[in-house]
Amino acid sequence: MESLLQHLERFSELLAVSRTTHVSTWDPATVRRALQWARYLRHVHSRFGRHVRIRTALERRLQKRGRQDGAPGSAPVPGLTNFQALGRCDRLLSLRLLENRALGDAAYHYLLQQLFPGPGVPDADEETLQGSLVRLARRGSAVHMLRFIGYGENSVLEDAVLKTQAELLLERLREVPKAEAEGPSRFLSTLWDRLPQNNFLKVIAVALLLPPSSPRPQGEELELGTPKTPGEGGQELIRWLLAKSDVMAAFCHNLPVGLLTSVAGRHPELSRAYLGLLTDWGRHLRYDLEKGTWVGAESQHVSWEELYGRFQSLCQAPPPLKDEVLTALESCKAQDGDFQVPGLSIWTDLLLALGSGS
Amino acid sequence: MAQDSVGFSSDYQFWLQKLSVWDQASTLETQQDTCLHLPRFQEFLRQMYEVLKEMDSNTIIERFPTIGQLLARTCWNPFILAFAKKILIWCLCCLINKEPQNSEESKLNSWTRGLLSHILSAFRFDTKEVGLFTQGLGYAPADYCPGLLKNMVLSLASELRENHLNGFNTQRRMVPEKIRFLSRVCIPLVTLPDIEPLVEALLTYHGYEPQEVLWPEFFDAVNEAFLLKKISLPTSAVVCLWLRHLPSLEKATLHLFDKLISSERNFLRRIECFLKDSLLPEAACHPAIFRIVDEMFRCALLETDGAPEVLAAIQVFTWCFVEALEKKNKQLKFTFKTYFPYASPSLIMVLLQHPKEIPQELWHQPLKHISEMLREIVEDQTHGSYGGPFECWFLFIHFGGWADIVAEQLVMSEAEPPEALLWLLAFSYSPRDRSLQRTQTMIEVKAVLGHLKKLFRSPTLSAKDLQAAAAESRDRDPRPPLCQQLIRRLILNFLLWAPGGHVIAREVITLMAPTDELTYEMTGLLDQTLYRWDHLCMEAPRSRKLARELLAELRSAGTAR
Repeated sequence: MESLLQHLERFSELLAVSRTTHVSTWDPATVRRALQWARYLRHVHSRFGRHVRIRTALERRLQKRGRQDGAPGSAPVPGLTNFQALGRCDRLLSLRLLENRALGDAAYHYLLQQLFPGPGVPDADEETLQGSLVRLARRGSAVHMLRFIGYGENSVLEDAVLKTQAELLLERLREVPKAEAEGPSRFLSTLWDRLPQNNFLKVIAVALLLPPSSPRPQGEELELGTPKTPGEGGQELIRWLLAKSDVMAAFCHNLPVGLLTSVAGRHPELSRAYLGLLTDWGRHLRYDLEKGTWVGAESQHVSWEELYGRFQSLCQAPPPLKDEVLTALESCKAQDGDFQVPGLSIWTDLLLALGSGS
Repeated sequence: MAQDSVGFSSDYQFWLQKLSVWDQASTLETQQDTCLHLPRFQEFLRQMYEVLKEMDSNTIIERFPTIGQLLARTCWNPFILAFAKKILIWCLCCLINKEPQNSEESKLNSWTRGLLSHILSAFRFDTKEVGLFTQGLGYAPADYCPGLLKNMVLSLASELRENHLNGFNTQRRMVPEKIRFLSRVCIPLVTLPDIEPLVEALLTYHGYEPQEVLWPEFFDAVNEAFLLKKISLPTSAVVCLWLRHLPSLEKATLHLFDKLISSERNFLRRIECFLKDSLLPEAACHPAIFRIVDEMFRCALLETDGAPEVLAAIQVFTWCFVEALEKKNKQLKFTFKTYFPYASPSLIMVLLQHPKEIPQELWHQPLKHISEMLREIVEDQTHGSYGGPFECWFLFIHFGGWADIVAEQLVMSEAEPPEALLWLLAFSYSPRDRSLQRTQTMIEVKAVLGHLKKLFRSPTLSAKDLQAAAAESRDRDPRPPLCQQLIRRLILNFLLWAPGGHVIAREVITLMAPTDELTYEMTGLLDQTLYRWDHLCMEAPRSRKLARELLAELRSAGTAR
């Protein structure tokens, strides 16, 4: 077991080196050995996929390495971060070497011979590296070509991209060691500081809308006995959002209204926080007698139109959410003095505008 | 060889020219032309690889100074890239020099490595945000490319379905031009399994436009991939494909014919497998498809002058088709008239009855009924509404099992052979006969049956007796070949059913089938008989055993020859 772990350790180092200029010293024999190691590890992946003890030990070692390599704080080096990745480690190594211009001509020539032996080798064998590389490249082409379609008024591409990002985020969340109590939340905070925030918020929203236990869709990488914990990543996201009031405020402020309503409809904890924020925003509005409308006391306050738009969208949601929203509005209205005429309480006016005023 | 290389050079020039016209396939015309030429161009690349792999990179550049141009243009055409990636990679590999000696050679290596990188790297997002996000999470494009593709395909497929359901009422409606474009983009991708949901959605999408929105080349590509089993599609999608694109249906039927022709003869079980595998019997539940396939069978029958193999194939096809119809019975939307527009509906209803559902001792009733109805139509000189004798016969042979039953019943029955059954048998064998000839055949058959009846229970049955029974009488005209064939069938049935038949069977067959052609005919008859018995779940262990043994012996004799 220890030798297997050492092997893994050495291969991770090799993988890190494969991106650097150090490969200029590699000769064909080095390339051959590197590919042999990779093949061995892929074999380990297919052999021990269902072997929980070995799998856990390997996974732990990979995660330890991942943290040493940088995370949290700096961007983790893409590489072997989980057991799944072992199944495609030979492809990963090959792609890095193919891209690395520092690799000498003789070594590169040898690499090509190994990767693309030509038509003599059985075509249908999906297991060959040649097959896997070509299939990946064809998939890349397909993405590239289908992208032509996505442009214009259509949001098909955007939807697909967000969904993919959400799946990746959930996958990473699953990998954060559970032993560390603050693990997931610290990980998310690091991302929040580092990534473009608006995109991150949208990805979080889409992740919260994915059906529970949506395994990462990768036809070829069979998830052998992956422990599935449905919605666990989603729970981590919610916990983090609720704990970070500034992020939660940005989440509710910046996302499209319809998207927020869908998220609120799925997650009662979030809908309560969202309603809390909305009532808070409502309290900042004052009635302008001259204009006959509700206006913000300060410019950063949410306008009447926006507030109304959000409530309207929530009231169009299916029953439990819709009722909850109306009840909340009614109770605010009662607290204000249960006025029936417009212009005195924003809640009365909102209920009237929504057509549910009593 | 020299001839080949001249051919290759002119091909090379042709494609170089084409590629420069296509450029990056950014206009509609160039995309269409590229798609049209994809398989041919792939074949050219294959030939080129065969040429290149024999040379070192210096020789390649010497022989083909413009090869860089050709390969670069190929690599920048997304349609080709999506279609023929593997061979292109092989060709580029040939250009790499293991030990470059000068700067020119190094430059070529570096250039080639750039191209290889370009076609092997999955893709890059041009939106910075997405790139930053995935990188920030520690993912390389290769890690999420399959997932992204899947999501894109599902998004597009569900949008197409929504389009279909909502018609004009949706905001996100895909305009027809876009769907058309989508179908074109899919042409080089159809063999990629990840794309299947999208191909299916396109095939089943019915727009509100009067004209076909999808590209004909798209149908061609999907059909080709389906026939070569490079993709698997649900039957409903295949039916849509064939309904929307007639050439694809014709190709699929011809592909089936090819398979039947090249398969081992006289093996109806195998024919049934081929037929079911082709999905054609199932698809034929749609009358439009049935009519086309049936028409092609009719042509095959006419071209081969009624070859028994074609007859058998039509019969098995009809069996499979009826079986598929029964499975779909609940949703059957069409009357039988739509499948057989030129036939009498009441005749079809009788023919469609499954003999299995009628007690064996009552089989003569439907047979008589069929015979009378056919005879009425055939002998009606005006050939009113139900076509001529050929049409009737063509309909009848779809359900050819009934004719086989007639031949069996006549041999086994103790009673005087009924006129109706004799007529039906004579008609099934020789539909073109005038009524005088047919009467002649009936008389011959009746005479032979009379002899056979006497021998049926004879304890001292000999091959000679049987030969004498089947012999032609000298005072009449010689029997026409089809009549002789009919008699051979009766003798074979006699051997299978008569108590003493098994003792003399081999001897009789040797006498009856002295030539390869006749052996072949016997093999076919035995195979059909066994297949039909299986189909009807006939309980006849002794006859079955004999038939199986005879068939095996004839087959091994056939292969030994």
